[in-house]
Amino acid sequence: MSLKMKTYDPLLVRRQAKRSRNIFVFLCVLPSLGFLALFMYYPIVETFRLSFMKASGLGQDRFIGFENYRKLWASAEFQAGLQHVFAWAFWSIIIQIPLAFFIAFSLTFYVNRVSKPLRAIYYLANILPSAITAMLGKFVFSPTNGILNNLGSQFGWKWLSALDFLGDESLAFWSVFTVATWAYTGFPIIYLMARIEQFPKEFKEAAQLDGVTGWKYAWYIVLPNLKSAIRILAVLSTIGSLKLFDLPYMMTVGGPGYATVTLGISLYRQGFINWQYGRASAIGVVIFLLSLIFTILEFSGKKGDVE
Amino acid sequence: MMEKRTRTHVRHGLSEIIITCILCLFALSVLLPLFLPWLFVFKTQLEYSYSPWSLPNKIIWTNFQEAWASIRIGEGLLNTLIVSLGAVVLTVPSSALAGYVFARYHSKKTEILFYAILIGYFIPIQMVLIPLYKFNIKLGLSNSLIGLILPLAAFNIPFWTLIYRSFFQTLPKDLGDAARIDGAGHAATLFRIMLPLAAPATVLAVLLVFIAAWSDYFLSLIMLNDQRLFTMQLRVSQFLNSYGTDRMPRYAAAALISMAPTILLYVLGHKWIIRGTLAGALKE
Repeated sequence: MSLKMKTYDPLLVRRQAKRSRNIFVFLCVLPSLGFLALFMYYPIVETFRLSFMKASGLGQDRFIGFENYRKLWASAEFQAGLQHVFAWAFWSIIIQIPLAFFIAFSLTFYVNRVSKPLRAIYYLANILPSAITAMLGKFVFSPTNGILNNLGSQFGWKWLSALDFLGDESLAFWSVFTVATWAYTGFPIIYLMARIEQFPKEFKEAAQLDGVTGWKYAWYIVLPNLKSAIRILAVLSTIGSLKLFDLPYMMTVGGPGYATVTLGISLYRQGFINWQYGRASAIGVVIFLLSLIFTILEFSGKKGDVE
Repeated sequence: MMEKRTRTHVRHGLSEIIITCILCLFALSVLLPLFLPWLFVFKTQLEYSYSPWSLPNKIIWTNFQEAWASIRIGEGLLNTLIVSLGAVVLTVPSSALAGYVFARYHSKKTEILFYAILIGYFIPIQMVLIPLYKFNIKLGLSNSLIGLILPLAAFNIPFWTLIYRSFFQTLPKDLGDAARIDGAGHAATLFRIMLPLAAPATVLAVLLVFIAAWSDYFLSLIMLNDQRLFTMQLRVSQFLNSYGTDRMPRYAAAALISMAPTILLYVLGHKWIIRGTLAGALKE
């Protein structure tokens, strides 16, 4: 075996180092990128394409321009979906966020033996699968056998036993919304608590020195400092409403009539019951564009913050 | 000693008591629907219809057996376990590798790739449902558990890449550099030094990806048609449709069985679950 004289060319060494570095980076990113390319980027492009097609899974797809969007805009189901999505977002913001603020503030202001267990309990319903939440919702709100109707008839409260929580057009939305509030207020609670706990200690001490206590402290000091947190929660609620499907679908199938139809349910019906891929894709595009707008709103609002 | 105590724990007297009572009432209203089924589950249908609100005469387990058999819960649990573990196995390593690179290897190209993955975080699954379904048919994966696992992983990867990235950014930079100077290659540095240090992030990722996959409903509904492949959540909704609340004791039993795994997981791991959720939310 002859020993070859190794010459160290610094340029070559550096180039080799760079190459091994690039290969390493490429290999690390490859799995993630591969997954996203197949199951996200490609379907995104395909959704946009399909939304301009007449496509039913049978036969050739045919280009029809904006026809799908026009048909959607004219359909009662889509209009109802759009309305409910925004009503849902509005009431989530009006009811769930103030409730969460009250609880989060109280739990961080009065720290005692029950604070930690209470926080864990409030978040519990959040991680239940939506199917279980729907099951418990029907357990409470079902006609005749549901807990509320049953209580009403047991105690002879006619007004209660006569209420059809899921079958009455004016009640169904609120029944489903109540279940959602029960399940999903946990997140804003733990989020606001975490943000309040990040405040500098001087906040509370200074307030105590100045004699600002209790609700004045909450209103004049804590709330203004939670502005960005509350805006983020509001955007998350809105995006969540745009995607809403599981609870109303399992509890009422969007009914009675269109009383609890959401954009998600409308998409499912068009795509997987009527097999109108084109129209369903158009709903997907609408959901995407609306959530994009609200996401951009969140980020552009964030820039104005001095943090 | 006394002084120290009053400093850390300020007493507020009456207002504290009233507010704490209100908070406890809220907590009770969270727990009530979870515990109420226990009142009905040990009764026969006859006993239930005569006196639903009394305590059961004697403890019977037939309702659990009936609920278990009606939607074949054993099969459902097994399917859901496969789906959840599959999602964890595909999501967590991919995210860890990508997150590490984005934290430690800065260049124009990696930055572009990072944003490409970040976009995925903002894509609602509804947006891509139809093509995903058609794509799965084309690949011959429709109506199979793997056809559900793959897109589930894809949808969890962006978030956890983000979390791993910010976790690796918090580790001191010298750690990796020292290893590199000692002659360790890129891969050795990652696998021997950095990944073990990222164990806390990995625990959160495994737990929360598992829960997310376990809870999935919409994607499973689209991807699975064969009843034998149904996950727990699909079986629950099947139970709602075909059995309903007509026989409350059986309904209560089905509810109690199907919520048990999640509740158990939460009781054991709620600290990490909450920490993981907040780790993501506070990063935004």
